[in-house]
Amino acid sequence: MSNRIRATGGWRLAVVVALVGVAGAAAAQPSTAPAPSPEKQRQTKLGIEQKTAAGLYAYFKQKADGGTPLTWRSVPDWTGIWTREASPFFFDPDQTSMTSMPTAKLTPPFEKQLREKLDRIARGIEFDPLSNCEPAGMPRWLVEPFLREFVVTPQQTYLMNEMQNEIRRIYTDGRGHPSPDDAYPLWEGDSIGFWEGDKLVIHTNQMRAGQYQRLQPAYTERVETVEVWRKTDPSTMTVDVWSYDPPVLIEPWYTKQVYKKLSNADNSLRIRYWDCGENQNNTVTKTAEGSSDFTNFTFTKKGDK
Amino acid sequence: MRKILGCAFGAMVLAAAPSFAHHSAVMFDEAKEITVKGTVKEFQYTNPHSWLLVDVKNEDGTVTTWGFEAEGPSTLTRAGIRKSDFMPGTTITISGHPMRDGRPAASWTKAMRGDGKEFVPGAGFAIK
Repeated sequence: MSNRIRATGGWRLAVVVALVGVAGAAAAQPSTAPAPSPEKQRQTKLGIEQKTAAGLYAYFKQKADGGTPLTWRSVPDWTGIWTREASPFFFDPDQTSMTSMPTAKLTPPFEKQLREKLDRIARGIEFDPLSNCEPAGMPRWLVEPFLREFVVTPQQTYLMNEMQNEIRRIYTDGRGHPSPDDAYPLWEGDSIGFWEGDKLVIHTNQMRAGQYQRLQPAYTERVETVEVWRKTDPSTMTVDVWSYDPPVLIEPWYTKQVYKKLSNADNSLRIRYWDCGENQNNTVTKTAEGSSDFTNFTFTKKGDK
Repeated sequence: MRKILGCAFGAMVLAAAPSFAHHSAVMFDEAKEITVKGTVKEFQYTNPHSWLLVDVKNEDGTVTTWGFEAEGPSTLTRAGIRKSDFMPGTTITISGHPMRDGRPAASWTKAMRGDGKEFVPGAGFAIK
């Protein structure tokens, strides 16, 4: 049968068309984020009052009287296969429109940088370092789709994302962060935490610079986060997240991340290792203009049409 | 190498499948969709992306191998697509957004096997 091309469209087309609108807006135009909910306003206010991620973490720890060490008997059941509920395009699930800017209050240089990035994407110029299995890293780790597992032990919690085999280790044994003199940027940062009943409070610093997602702002090595994880029903994990990053954010960016437990009655969902070198057809390279292209298919040559 | 009979730009439709989360999709033309009929050559069920290779017979009798990219095994499993669904030799009609540069490859949007069963990789992002 002969090949034929027929009319259709797709989500990705919508992304590009919408981005043309966003990028085309005047740089001086204010962001058009949806009005924050009362809860979001309250959480943002709390983040502002505590000034820094370390300050907010200390506030939560003081409120919890230092926290309650877990025992094997009190370990909560976070088993199962989970995935993020919201669109993978946006760090803040409250952003639902491709035609609005992110809900973060950005400093002028980083708002300009984001608009320029969106403009390039709208013109079909985009390369994501993840293409070659570079880790997403924190805080982008929070937003990536695919499967997740959360493993809780009394002294340490492991938060795993199938994508790029990224595992975050949350130390809940009472240790602090390494001294600033010994600190260096890490893909997942350095995470310490404590338990308050069934809530896990985490402070993460020492992260590498990156981007919250491809259509989202950048973050610097000064980014720090505070997270409060809680299983709010048998199939829902709710995470309050405050991002602090003074070069990028005018005020801490509060978001609520939700992960849903997937049904897996036949046990067919299993996390497998990711290796971009496993299949040659997955090799994506950065072009001279800074975009993405496949270069090395096994089934056709570059010149084949 | 291949003959394309028709070409049209589609209306903007918000499909269920999100953009590839792992790499940019700028190499694919999202405004177009191709549909070809052929037989499965190989189903590369791999992370981070799977590739379904389909041999398509051209009008001049030659055969072109097309590659259709989808998400990896876990997302395909969630969409009800298993490796055994596309054994070599399986008859298939498959659609996708083609490469902008004309190479015979596309991002896989849907497929129908010879027995009439339909497979939509993007359905693997549904939460259930």
